[in-house]
Amino acid sequence: MSTPALEVTNIGRRFGGLIALRDVTFSIAEGEIVGLIGPNGAGKSTLFEIIAGNMSPSHGTIRFFGTDLTNTSAHARRRSGLCRTFQKVRLFETMTVEENVRVAASQCLPPARALHDDVASVLRQVNLEHLRHRRPAAITLADRKRVEIARAIAGNCRLLMLDESLSGLTHDEADRLVAEIIDLNKTRGVTVIVVEHVLSVLAAMVQRLIVLHNATVVAEGPPREVANNPVVIEAYLGSQHAALNKGARP
Amino acid sequence: MTREAVATAEHEAAATRSGWLLFATVALIAVLPLLPFINNYILSAVVRALVFIALGQAWNIVAGIGGLLSLGHGVFLGIGCYTMGILFNRYGVSPWLGVWAGVALAVAVAAAMGALTLRIRGVFFALATVAVSLALVQLSRHFVDLTGGADGLALRFTGTSFWAAQSRTPAPFLYAGLAVVCMYYWITKRLLASSFGLTMMAVRDDETAAAAAGVAVFRTKMLGLMLSAAMTAFASGLYVQFYMAIDPESAFGLSQAIQLQLPALLGGIGTALGPVVGGAIMIFCSELTNWAGTKAGIEGADLLVYGLILLIVVLRAPQGVVGLFARGSK
Repeated sequence: MSTPALEVTNIGRRFGGLIALRDVTFSIAEGEIVGLIGPNGAGKSTLFEIIAGNMSPSHGTIRFFGTDLTNTSAHARRRSGLCRTFQKVRLFETMTVEENVRVAASQCLPPARALHDDVASVLRQVNLEHLRHRRPAAITLADRKRVEIARAIAGNCRLLMLDESLSGLTHDEADRLVAEIIDLNKTRGVTVIVVEHVLSVLAAMVQRLIVLHNATVVAEGPPREVANNPVVIEAYLGSQHAALNKGARP
Repeated sequence: MTREAVATAEHEAAATRSGWLLFATVALIAVLPLLPFINNYILSAVVRALVFIALGQAWNIVAGIGGLLSLGHGVFLGIGCYTMGILFNRYGVSPWLGVWAGVALAVAVAAAMGALTLRIRGVFFALATVAVSLALVQLSRHFVDLTGGADGLALRFTGTSFWAAQSRTPAPFLYAGLAVVCMYYWITKRLLASSFGLTMMAVRDDETAAAAAGVAVFRTKMLGLMLSAAMTAFASGLYVQFYMAIDPESAFGLSQAIQLQLPALLGGIGTALGPVVGGAIMIFCSELTNWAGTKAGIEGADLLVYGLILLIVVLRAPQGVVGLFARGSK
Protein backbone atom coordinates (compact mmCIF):
# COMPACT_ATOMS: atom_id res chain seq x y z
CA MET A 1 0.00 0.00 0.00
CA SER A 2 1.47 3.35 -1.01
CA THR A 3 2.05 6.20 1.46
CA PRO A 4 -1.02 8.46 1.77
CA ALA A 5 -0.71 11.97 0.39
CA LEU A 6 -2.02 13.40 3.66
CA GLU A 7 -2.41 11.83 7.08
CA VAL A 8 -4.17 13.84 9.76
CA THR A 9 -3.81 12.07 13.10
CA ASN A 10 -5.55 13.01 16.34
CA ILE A 11 -5.53 16.71 15.54
CA GLY A 12 -7.03 18.84 18.27
CA ARG A 13 -7.26 22.56 18.76
CA ARG A 14 -8.49 24.59 21.70
CA PHE A 15 -9.17 28.32 21.88
CA GLY A 16 -9.24 28.85 25.62
CA GLY A 17 -12.28 26.90 26.78
CA LEU A 18 -13.61 26.34 23.25
CA ILE A 19 -12.73 23.07 21.54
CA ALA A 20 -12.51 23.83 17.81
CA LEU A 21 -11.21 20.36 16.81
CA ARG A 22 -11.28 17.13 18.78
CA ASP A 23 -9.05 14.20 17.73
CA VAL A 24 -9.64 14.59 14.01
CA THR A 25 -8.15 11.69 12.09
CA PHE A 26 -8.34 10.84 8.39
CA SER A 27 -6.05 10.17 5.45
CA ILE A 28 -6.17 10.97 1.77
CA ALA A 29 -4.62 8.83 -0.95
CA GLU A 30 -2.49 10.28 -3.71
CA GLY A 31 -4.59 11.37 -6.69
CA GLU A 32 -7.89 11.45 -4.77
CA ILE A 33 -10.39 14.31 -4.83
CA VAL A 34 -11.94 14.57 -1.38
CA GLY A 35 -14.65 16.92 -0.13
CA LEU A 36 -14.63 18.33 3.39
CA ILE A 37 -18.09 19.39 4.52
CA GLY A 38 -19.87 20.35 7.70
CA PRO A 39 -22.14 23.01 9.16
CA ASN A 40 -20.82 26.43 10.17
CA GLY A 41 -18.62 26.17 13.25
CA ALA A 42 -17.83 22.50 12.64
CA GLY A 43 -14.11 23.23 12.50
CA LYS A 44 -13.47 23.09 8.73
CA SER A 45 -11.64 26.40 8.55
CA THR A 46 -9.56 25.65 11.64
CA LEU A 47 -8.57 22.28 10.20
CA PHE A 48 -7.76 23.91 6.87
CA GLU A 49 -5.51 26.49 8.53
CA ILE A 50 -3.76 23.82 10.60
CA ILE A 51 -3.05 21.66 7.54
CA ALA A 52 -1.82 24.74 5.62
CA GLY A 53 0.49 25.70 8.48
CA ASN A 54 -1.08 29.00 9.44
CA MET A 55 -2.19 27.68 12.83
CA SER A 56 -0.61 25.20 15.22
CA PRO A 57 -2.64 22.29 16.56
CA SER A 58 -2.91 21.79 20.32
CA HIS A 59 -2.02 18.15 19.67
CA GLY A 60 -1.80 15.63 16.84
CA THR A 61 0.31 15.30 13.70
CA ILE A 62 0.12 16.20 10.02
CA ARG A 63 2.09 13.95 7.66
CA PHE A 64 2.49 14.79 4.00
CA PHE A 65 3.63 11.88 1.81
CA GLY A 66 5.08 10.32 4.95
CA THR A 67 6.94 13.43 6.16
CA ASP A 68 5.88 15.02 9.45
CA LEU A 69 5.01 18.65 8.70
CA THR A 70 3.31 19.45 12.01
CA ASN A 71 5.91 21.98 13.10
CA THR A 72 6.92 23.41 9.72
CA SER A 73 6.00 26.88 8.47
CA ALA A 74 3.33 27.63 5.87
CA HIS A 75 5.89 28.58 3.22
CA ALA A 76 7.92 25.39 3.80
CA ARG A 77 4.76 23.30 3.36
CA ARG A 78 3.99 25.14 0.12
CA ARG A 79 7.48 24.50 -1.16
CA SER A 80 7.11 20.80 -0.42
CA GLY A 81 3.95 20.77 -2.55
CA LEU A 82 1.09 21.37 -0.10
CA CYS A 83 -0.87 24.18 -1.74
CA ARG A 84 -4.00 26.14 -0.93
CA THR A 85 -6.48 28.79 -1.98
CA PHE A 86 -8.43 31.11 0.29
CA GLN A 87 -12.13 31.39 1.10
CA LYS A 88 -11.99 35.10 0.22
CA VAL A 89 -9.69 35.41 -2.78
CA ARG A 90 -6.33 36.88 -1.75
CA LEU A 91 -4.24 38.01 -4.69
CA PHE A 92 -1.28 40.37 -4.96
CA GLU A 93 -3.33 43.29 -6.20
CA THR A 94 -0.45 45.49 -7.38
CA MET A 95 0.88 42.76 -9.66
CA THR A 96 -0.29 41.36 -12.94
CA VAL A 97 -1.85 37.90 -13.22
CA GLU A 98 1.44 36.53 -14.58
CA GLU A 99 3.45 38.08 -11.74
CA ASN A 100 1.06 36.57 -9.19
CA VAL A 101 1.85 33.14 -10.60
CA ARG A 102 5.56 33.92 -11.01
CA VAL A 103 5.93 34.67 -7.29
CA ALA A 104 4.95 31.10 -6.42
CA ALA A 105 6.86 29.53 -9.31
CA SER A 106 10.04 31.38 -8.34
CA GLN A 107 9.83 30.02 -4.78
CA CYS A 108 8.59 26.50 -5.38
CA LEU A 109 10.02 25.38 -8.70
CA PRO A 110 12.32 22.35 -8.64
CA PRO A 111 15.78 23.48 -9.90
CA ALA A 112 15.62 21.49 -13.11
CA ARG A 113 12.53 23.27 -14.45
CA ALA A 114 12.45 26.63 -16.23
CA LEU A 115 10.49 29.40 -14.50
CA HIS A 116 9.06 30.92 -17.66
CA ASP A 117 7.88 27.56 -19.03
CA ASP A 118 6.21 26.64 -15.75
CA VAL A 119 4.35 29.96 -15.52
CA ALA A 120 3.20 29.66 -19.14
CA SER A 121 2.08 26.08 -18.62
CA VAL A 122 0.12 26.90 -15.47
CA LEU A 123 -1.61 29.87 -17.10
CA ARG A 124 -2.52 27.66 -20.05
CA GLN A 125 -3.86 24.97 -17.71
CA VAL A 126 -6.40 27.34 -16.13
CA ASN A 127 -7.17 29.30 -19.31
CA LEU A 128 -5.63 32.58 -18.19
CA GLU A 129 -3.08 33.17 -20.94
CA HIS A 130 -5.08 36.02 -22.48
CA LEU A 131 -5.29 37.83 -19.12
CA ARG A 132 -1.70 37.47 -18.05
CA HIS A 133 -0.87 41.19 -18.26
CA ARG A 134 -4.03 42.32 -16.45
CA ARG A 135 -4.16 43.25 -12.79
CA PRO A 136 -6.55 41.31 -10.53
CA ALA A 137 -8.84 44.33 -10.11
CA ALA A 138 -9.57 44.24 -13.84
CA ILE A 139 -10.80 40.64 -14.10
CA THR A 140 -13.96 38.76 -13.07
CA LEU A 141 -14.41 36.86 -9.82
CA ALA A 142 -14.21 33.52 -11.64
CA ASP A 143 -10.90 34.53 -13.20
CA ARG A 144 -9.62 35.81 -9.85
CA LYS A 145 -10.32 32.36 -8.45
CA ARG A 146 -8.47 30.85 -11.43
CA VAL A 147 -5.48 33.09 -10.70
CA GLU A 148 -5.47 31.85 -7.13
CA ILE A 149 -5.56 28.25 -8.31
CA ALA A 150 -2.79 28.98 -10.85
CA ARG A 151 -0.65 30.53 -8.13
CA ALA A 152 -1.34 27.53 -5.91
CA ILE A 153 -0.27 24.94 -8.49
CA ALA A 154 2.74 26.85 -9.87
CA GLY A 155 6.14 25.36 -9.25
CA ASN A 156 5.51 22.26 -7.25
CA CYS A 157 2.02 21.20 -6.22
CA ARG A 158 1.17 17.69 -5.04
CA LEU A 159 -1.88 18.42 -2.93
CA LEU A 160 -4.25 21.31 -3.57
CA MET A 161 -6.64 22.53 -0.87
CA LEU A 162 -9.52 24.56 -2.28
CA ASP A 163 -11.46 26.67 0.22
CA GLU A 164 -14.92 27.39 -1.19
CA SER A 165 -13.55 28.12 -4.63
CA LEU A 166 -17.00 27.88 -6.19
CA SER A 167 -18.81 30.31 -3.92
CA GLY A 168 -20.08 33.45 -5.58
CA LEU A 169 -19.90 31.96 -9.08
CA THR A 170 -22.79 31.47 -11.51
CA HIS A 171 -23.82 27.90 -12.38
CA ASP A 172 -21.93 28.00 -15.67
CA GLU A 173 -18.80 29.48 -14.10
CA ALA A 174 -18.89 26.89 -11.32
CA ASP A 175 -19.33 24.04 -13.80
CA ARG A 176 -16.38 25.25 -15.89
CA LEU A 177 -14.17 25.59 -12.80
CA VAL A 178 -15.16 22.10 -11.61
CA ALA A 179 -14.19 20.71 -15.02
CA GLU A 180 -10.84 22.49 -14.78
CA ILE A 181 -10.20 21.14 -11.28
CA ILE A 182 -10.97 17.58 -12.42
CA ASP A 183 -8.70 18.12 -15.42
CA LEU A 184 -5.97 19.38 -13.08
CA ASN A 185 -6.32 16.24 -11.00
CA LYS A 186 -6.12 14.00 -14.08
CA THR A 187 -3.39 15.74 -16.07
CA ARG A 188 -1.08 16.78 -13.25
CA GLY A 189 -1.95 14.03 -10.78
CA VAL A 190 -2.64 16.63 -8.09
CA THR A 191 -4.51 15.36 -5.04
CA VAL A 192 -7.37 17.74 -4.17
CA ILE A 193 -9.23 18.58 -0.96
CA VAL A 194 -12.31 20.72 -1.46
CA VAL A 195 -14.20 22.62 1.22
CA GLU A 196 -17.52 23.49 -0.37
CA HIS A 197 -21.14 24.20 0.47
CA VAL A 198 -22.65 23.49 -2.97
CA LEU A 199 -23.12 19.80 -2.27
CA SER A 200 -24.44 18.74 -5.63
CA VAL A 201 -21.30 20.11 -7.27
CA LEU A 202 -19.18 18.25 -4.74
CA ALA A 203 -21.00 15.02 -5.55
CA ALA A 204 -20.06 15.42 -9.18
CA MET A 205 -16.43 16.15 -8.37
CA VAL A 206 -15.25 14.16 -5.35
CA GLN A 207 -14.64 10.48 -4.81
CA ARG A 208 -15.03 10.72 -1.06
CA LEU A 209 -16.59 13.05 1.50
CA ILE A 210 -15.39 13.74 5.02
CA VAL A 211 -18.02 15.26 7.30
CA LEU A 212 -17.05 17.39 10.29
CA HIS A 213 -19.56 18.14 13.01
CA ASN A 214 -19.04 19.46 16.52
CA ALA A 215 -15.27 19.59 16.04
CA THR A 216 -14.84 15.96 14.97
CA VAL A 217 -15.25 13.66 11.98
CA VAL A 218 -18.71 12.10 12.07
CA ALA A 219 -18.70 10.32 8.72
CA GLU A 220 -16.58 9.65 5.67
CA GLY A 221 -17.10 7.71 2.47
CA PRO A 222 -18.46 7.99 -1.07
CA PRO A 223 -20.97 10.85 -1.53
CA ARG A 224 -24.04 8.62 -1.90
CA GLU A 225 -23.16 6.66 1.22
CA VAL A 226 -22.58 9.83 3.21
CA ALA A 227 -25.82 11.35 1.89
CA ASN A 228 -27.79 8.49 3.40
CA ASN A 229 -25.98 8.50 6.73
CA PRO A 230 -28.63 9.43 9.37
CA VAL A 231 -26.09 11.24 11.54
CA VAL A 232 -25.01 13.40 8.63
CA ILE A 233 -28.59 14.09 7.57
CA GLU A 234 -29.52 15.21 11.04
CA ALA A 235 -26.36 17.23 11.64
CA TYR A 236 -25.91 18.93 8.34
CA LEU A 237 -27.65 17.88 5.15
CA GLY A 238 -31.33 18.18 6.04
CA SER A 239 -33.21 18.67 2.79
CA GLN A 240 -30.00 18.71 0.73
CA HIS A 241 -29.46 14.95 0.93
CA ALA A 242 -31.87 14.33 -1.92
CA ALA A 243 -29.93 16.73 -4.13
CA LEU A 244 -26.67 15.09 -3.16
CA ASN A 245 -28.09 11.67 -4.05
CA LYS A 246 -29.19 12.88 -7.48
CA GLY A 247 -26.04 14.89 -8.11
CA ALA A 248 -28.27 17.84 -9.01
CA ARG A 249 -27.98 21.39 -7.76
CA PRO A 250 -30.36 21.99 -4.79
CA MET B 1 -1.22 44.20 -34.30
CA THR B 2 -3.00 42.89 -31.23
CA ARG B 3 -3.94 45.18 -28.35
CA GLU B 4 -1.27 43.56 -26.21
CA ALA B 5 1.41 44.06 -28.86
CA VAL B 6 0.42 47.72 -29.19
CA ALA B 7 0.56 48.13 -25.41
CA THR B 8 3.99 46.46 -25.28
CA ALA B 9 5.29 48.70 -28.08
CA GLU B 10 3.92 51.80 -26.32
CA HIS B 11 5.48 50.66 -23.06
CA GLU B 12 8.87 50.16 -24.72
CA ALA B 13 8.66 53.57 -26.43
CA ALA B 14 7.81 55.22 -23.10
CA ALA B 15 10.72 53.41 -21.44
CA THR B 16 13.10 54.63 -24.16
CA ARG B 17 11.79 58.20 -23.81
CA SER B 18 12.19 58.18 -20.02
CA GLY B 19 15.66 56.62 -20.42
CA TRP B 20 16.75 59.50 -22.65
CA LEU B 21 15.16 62.03 -20.29
CA LEU B 22 17.06 60.58 -17.35
CA PHE B 23 20.32 60.55 -19.29
CA ALA B 24 19.80 64.20 -20.27
CA THR B 25 19.04 65.14 -16.64
CA VAL B 26 22.16 63.37 -15.36
CA ALA B 27 24.26 65.03 -18.07
CA LEU B 28 22.81 68.45 -17.21
CA ILE B 29 23.58 68.04 -13.51
CA ALA B 30 27.08 66.80 -14.35
CA VAL B 31 27.91 69.95 -16.33
CA LEU B 32 26.44 72.36 -13.76
CA PRO B 33 29.79 73.06 -12.01
CA LEU B 34 31.26 74.02 -15.39
CA LEU B 35 28.65 76.66 -16.16
CA PRO B 36 29.79 80.22 -15.33
CA PHE B 37 26.42 81.46 -14.02
CA ILE B 38 26.04 78.57 -11.51
CA ASN B 39 27.38 79.59 -8.11
CA ASN B 40 28.20 77.48 -5.05
CA TYR B 41 24.84 78.25 -3.46
CA ILE B 42 23.00 76.60 -6.34
CA LEU B 43 25.46 73.71 -6.41
CA SER B 44 24.95 73.19 -2.67
CA ALA B 45 21.18 73.11 -3.16
CA VAL B 46 21.60 70.46 -5.85
CA VAL B 47 23.86 68.42 -3.54
CA ARG B 48 21.24 68.69 -0.79
CA ALA B 49 18.65 67.42 -3.23
CA LEU B 50 20.90 64.51 -4.25
CA VAL B 51 21.56 63.60 -0.60
CA PHE B 52 17.85 63.50 0.23
CA ILE B 53 17.00 61.71 -3.01
CA ALA B 54 19.51 58.99 -2.08
CA LEU B 55 18.13 58.73 1.45
CA GLY B 56 14.58 58.64 0.05
CA GLN B 57 15.59 55.90 -2.40
CA ALA B 58 16.92 53.85 0.51
CA TRP B 59 13.71 54.31 2.53
CA ASN B 60 11.66 53.46 -0.55
CA ILE B 61 13.22 49.99 -0.65
CA VAL B 62 11.87 48.93 2.73
CA ALA B 63 8.65 50.95 2.81
CA GLY B 64 7.68 51.36 -0.84
CA ILE B 65 8.65 47.96 -2.18
CA GLY B 66 8.69 45.96 1.05
CA GLY B 67 5.68 47.59 2.70
CA LEU B 68 7.41 47.99 6.07
CA LEU B 69 6.58 51.39 7.49
CA SER B 70 9.85 52.56 9.00
CA LEU B 71 9.02 55.76 10.87
CA GLY B 72 12.47 56.01 12.40
CA HIS B 73 14.78 55.44 9.48
CA GLY B 74 17.00 58.20 10.84
CA VAL B 75 18.44 55.45 13.05
CA PHE B 76 20.49 54.19 10.13
CA LEU B 77 21.39 57.70 8.95
CA GLY B 78 22.61 58.57 12.43
CA ILE B 79 24.55 55.35 12.89
CA GLY B 80 26.29 55.90 9.57
CA CYS B 81 27.11 59.55 10.27
CA TYR B 82 28.32 59.05 13.84
CA THR B 83 30.35 55.94 12.99
CA MET B 84 32.18 57.75 10.20
CA GLY B 85 32.61 60.93 12.22
CA ILE B 86 33.91 59.20 15.34
CA LEU B 87 36.27 56.94 13.40
CA PHE B 88 37.66 59.93 11.51
CA ASN B 89 37.94 62.40 14.38
CA ARG B 90 39.27 60.01 17.04
CA TYR B 91 41.19 57.41 15.04
CA GLY B 92 41.93 59.13 11.76
CA VAL B 93 40.12 56.46 9.74
CA SER B 94 39.41 57.64 6.21
CA PRO B 95 35.67 58.13 5.44
CA TRP B 96 36.17 55.80 2.48
CA LEU B 97 36.69 53.01 5.03
CA GLY B 98 34.52 54.49 7.79
CA VAL B 99 31.44 54.40 5.57
CA TRP B 100 31.68 50.60 5.40
CA ALA B 101 31.93 50.39 9.19
CA GLY B 102 28.77 52.51 9.37
CA VAL B 103 27.05 50.25 6.85
CA ALA B 104 28.03 47.14 8.84
CA LEU B 105 26.79 48.63 12.11
CA ALA B 106 23.52 49.81 10.55
CA VAL B 107 22.92 46.35 9.08
CA ALA B 108 23.61 44.76 12.48
CA VAL B 109 21.14 47.12 14.19
CA ALA B 110 18.57 46.48 11.44
CA ALA B 111 19.01 42.73 11.96
CA ALA B 112 18.49 43.09 15.71
CA MET B 113 15.41 45.32 15.25
CA GLY B 114 14.06 42.95 12.61
CA ALA B 115 14.62 39.86 14.75
CA LEU B 116 12.59 41.43 17.55
CA THR B 117 9.72 42.88 15.53
CA LEU B 118 9.33 41.42 12.06
CA ARG B 119 7.65 38.19 13.12
CA ILE B 120 4.82 40.17 14.67
CA ARG B 121 2.23 41.67 12.37
CA GLY B 122 0.78 45.12 12.71
CA VAL B 123 2.36 48.35 13.79
CA PHE B 124 5.08 46.88 16.03
CA PHE B 125 7.85 47.38 13.52
CA ALA B 126 6.88 51.03 12.94
CA LEU B 127 6.70 51.64 16.70
CA ALA B 128 10.02 49.87 17.26
CA THR B 129 11.77 52.13 14.76
CA VAL B 130 10.38 55.19 16.56
CA ALA B 131 11.41 53.78 19.94
CA VAL B 132 14.96 53.03 18.77
CA SER B 133 15.20 56.53 17.24
CA LEU B 134 14.19 58.18 20.49
CA ALA B 135 16.53 55.95 22.49
CA LEU B 136 19.45 56.82 20.21
CA VAL B 137 18.71 60.55 20.53
CA GLN B 138 19.10 60.19 24.29
CA LEU B 139 22.15 57.92 24.06
CA SER B 140 23.94 60.25 21.68
CA ARG B 141 23.23 63.15 24.05
CA HIS B 142 24.48 61.13 27.00
CA PHE B 143 27.88 59.98 25.70
CA VAL B 144 29.28 63.48 25.31
CA ASP B 145 32.94 62.41 24.96
CA LEU B 146 32.14 60.14 22.07
CA THR B 147 29.35 61.95 20.24
CA GLY B 148 29.70 65.56 21.31
CA GLY B 149 26.41 65.35 23.20
CA ALA B 150 23.57 67.70 22.29
CA ASP B 151 25.99 70.01 20.46
CA GLY B 152 26.78 67.23 18.05
CA LEU B 153 29.93 66.16 16.32
CA ALA B 154 31.82 68.43 13.93
CA LEU B 155 34.20 66.71 11.54
CA ARG B 156 37.82 67.78 11.79
CA PHE B 157 38.44 69.83 8.64
CA THR B 158 41.68 69.00 6.87
CA GLY B 159 41.19 71.11 3.76
CA THR B 160 40.38 69.75 0.34
CA SER B 161 41.48 66.13 0.43
CA PHE B 162 40.42 63.00 -1.43
CA TRP B 163 41.61 60.77 1.43
CA ALA B 164 39.46 62.69 3.95
CA ALA B 165 36.62 63.06 1.39
CA GLN B 166 36.53 66.79 2.09
CA SER B 167 36.31 69.77 -0.21
CA ARG B 168 36.02 73.53 0.08
CA THR B 169 33.62 73.57 -2.88
CA PRO B 170 30.41 71.57 -3.38
CA ALA B 171 31.31 70.28 -6.86
CA PRO B 172 32.96 66.98 -5.75
CA PHE B 173 29.93 66.23 -3.57
CA LEU B 174 27.69 66.87 -6.55
CA TYR B 175 29.48 64.18 -8.55
CA ALA B 176 29.52 61.79 -5.58
CA GLY B 177 25.82 62.43 -4.96
CA LEU B 178 24.99 61.94 -8.61
CA ALA B 179 26.87 58.63 -8.60
CA VAL B 180 25.03 57.42 -5.48
CA VAL B 181 21.61 58.44 -6.83
CA CYS B 182 22.30 56.75 -10.18
CA MET B 183 23.52 53.62 -8.41
CA TYR B 184 20.44 53.54 -6.13
CA TYR B 185 18.14 54.11 -9.12
CA TRP B 186 19.78 51.17 -10.86
CA ILE B 187 19.49 49.00 -7.70
CA THR B 188 15.79 49.87 -7.38
CA LYS B 189 15.12 49.09 -11.05
CA ARG B 190 16.95 45.77 -10.77
CA LEU B 191 15.13 44.94 -7.56
CA LEU B 192 11.72 45.68 -9.08
CA ALA B 193 12.52 43.38 -12.00
CA SER B 194 13.97 40.58 -9.86
CA SER B 195 12.37 37.57 -8.20
CA PHE B 196 13.38 38.94 -4.82
CA GLY B 197 11.69 42.26 -5.58
CA LEU B 198 8.58 40.34 -6.59
CA THR B 199 8.57 38.46 -3.29
CA MET B 200 9.01 41.75 -1.39
CA MET B 201 5.98 43.16 -3.20
CA ALA B 202 4.04 39.97 -2.52
CA VAL B 203 4.75 40.34 1.21
CA ARG B 204 3.74 44.01 1.00
CA ASP B 205 0.44 43.13 -0.69
CA ASP B 206 -0.55 40.18 1.52
CA GLU B 207 1.71 38.31 3.94
CA THR B 208 -0.57 35.30 4.36
CA ALA B 209 -1.01 34.87 0.63
CA ALA B 210 2.74 35.31 0.15
CA ALA B 211 3.47 32.49 2.60
CA ALA B 212 0.88 30.37 0.79
CA ALA B 213 2.85 31.06 -2.41
CA GLY B 214 6.02 29.73 -0.79
CA VAL B 215 7.57 33.05 0.19
CA ALA B 216 9.64 33.01 3.39
CA VAL B 217 7.98 36.15 4.77
CA PHE B 218 10.29 36.85 7.71
CA ARG B 219 13.45 36.31 5.67
CA THR B 220 12.15 38.54 2.87
CA LYS B 221 11.27 41.36 5.27
CA MET B 222 14.58 41.03 7.06
CA LEU B 223 16.64 41.14 3.84
CA GLY B 224 14.65 44.15 2.60
CA LEU B 225 15.23 45.98 5.87
CA MET B 226 18.94 45.17 5.90
CA LEU B 227 19.36 46.30 2.29
CA SER B 228 17.56 49.57 3.05
CA ALA B 229 19.60 50.12 6.23
CA ALA B 230 22.83 49.51 4.30
CA MET B 231 21.80 51.97 1.58
CA THR B 232 20.79 54.60 4.16
CA ALA B 233 24.07 54.25 6.05
CA PHE B 234 26.05 54.43 2.80
CA ALA B 235 24.22 57.60 1.75
CA SER B 236 24.84 59.01 5.22
CA GLY B 237 28.51 59.13 4.23
CA LEU B 238 27.62 61.72 1.65
CA TYR B 239 25.43 63.53 4.19
CA VAL B 240 28.07 63.88 6.91
CA GLN B 241 30.93 64.71 4.55
CA PHE B 242 28.86 67.43 2.92
CA TYR B 243 27.42 68.99 6.09
CA MET B 244 30.65 68.28 8.10
CA ALA B 245 28.62 67.88 11.29
CA ILE B 246 25.95 65.77 12.87
CA ASP B 247 23.86 66.19 16.02
CA PRO B 248 21.34 63.93 17.80
CA GLU B 249 18.21 65.59 16.36
CA SER B 250 19.42 65.79 12.77
CA ALA B 251 20.64 62.19 12.99
CA PHE B 252 17.98 60.29 14.91
CA GLY B 253 15.22 62.88 15.32
CA LEU B 254 11.71 62.23 14.03
CA SER B 255 11.60 65.39 11.92
CA GLN B 256 14.65 64.11 10.06
CA ALA B 257 13.00 60.70 9.68
CA ILE B 258 9.99 62.41 8.10
CA GLN B 259 12.28 64.26 5.68
CA LEU B 260 13.72 60.88 4.62
CA GLN B 261 10.25 59.66 3.74
CA LEU B 262 9.12 62.73 1.82
CA PRO B 263 10.96 62.11 -1.47
CA ALA B 264 9.28 58.74 -2.00
CA LEU B 265 5.91 59.88 -0.68
CA LEU B 266 5.88 62.97 -2.89
CA GLY B 267 7.33 61.37 -5.99
CA GLY B 268 5.70 57.96 -5.90
CA ILE B 269 6.22 55.24 -3.34
CA GLY B 270 7.40 51.86 -4.58
CA THR B 271 8.73 53.21 -7.88
CA ALA B 272 12.32 53.79 -8.99
CA LEU B 273 11.66 57.29 -10.31
CA GLY B 274 9.43 58.49 -7.45
CA PRO B 275 12.10 59.38 -4.85
CA VAL B 276 14.17 61.13 -7.54
CA VAL B 277 11.31 63.39 -8.60
CA GLY B 278 10.05 63.80 -5.02
CA GLY B 279 13.48 64.71 -3.63
CA ALA B 280 13.99 67.32 -6.33
CA ILE B 281 10.57 68.85 -5.63
CA MET B 282 11.21 68.79 -1.89
CA ILE B 283 14.49 70.68 -2.03
CA PHE B 284 13.21 73.11 -4.67
CA CYS B 285 10.22 73.95 -2.44
CA SER B 286 12.49 74.15 0.60
CA GLU B 287 14.85 76.62 -1.08
CA LEU B 288 11.99 78.67 -2.48
CA THR B 289 10.16 78.94 0.83
CA ASN B 290 13.37 79.65 2.74
CA TRP B 291 14.12 82.48 0.32
CA ALA B 292 10.56 83.82 0.53
CA GLY B 293 10.49 83.27 4.29
CA THR B 294 13.71 85.21 4.77
CA LYS B 295 12.28 88.08 2.70
CA ALA B 296 9.09 88.01 4.75
CA GLY B 297 10.89 87.47 8.05
CA ILE B 298 9.30 84.05 8.70
CA GLU B 299 11.59 81.20 9.75
CA GLY B 300 10.90 77.50 9.22
CA ALA B 301 8.32 78.08 6.50
CA ASP B 302 9.74 75.09 4.61
CA LEU B 303 8.30 72.65 7.18
CA LEU B 304 4.87 74.20 6.71
CA VAL B 305 5.20 73.82 2.96
CA TYR B 306 6.35 70.17 3.31
CA GLY B 307 3.25 69.45 5.35
CA LEU B 308 0.99 71.20 2.87
CA ILE B 309 2.49 69.39 -0.13
CA LEU B 310 2.25 66.06 1.65
CA LEU B 311 -1.40 66.70 2.46
CA ILE B 312 -2.17 67.55 -1.16
CA VAL B 313 -0.32 64.45 -2.41
CA VAL B 314 -2.06 62.13 0.05
CA LEU B 315 -5.48 63.51 -0.82
CA ARG B 316 -5.15 64.15 -4.55
CA ALA B 317 -2.36 61.87 -5.79
CA PRO B 318 -1.67 58.92 -3.47
CA GLN B 319 0.54 57.40 -6.18
CA GLY B 320 2.75 60.48 -6.07
CA VAL B 321 3.76 62.89 -8.79
CA VAL B 322 5.14 60.10 -10.99
CA GLY B 323 1.82 58.31 -10.71
CA LEU B 324 0.06 61.36 -12.13
CA PHE B 325 2.12 61.32 -15.30
CA ALA B 326 2.97 57.66 -15.83
CA ARG B 327 0.36 55.25 -14.58
CA GLY B 328 2.00 52.06 -13.38
CA SER B 329 5.48 53.48 -13.73
CA LYS B 330 8.08 51.41 -11.93
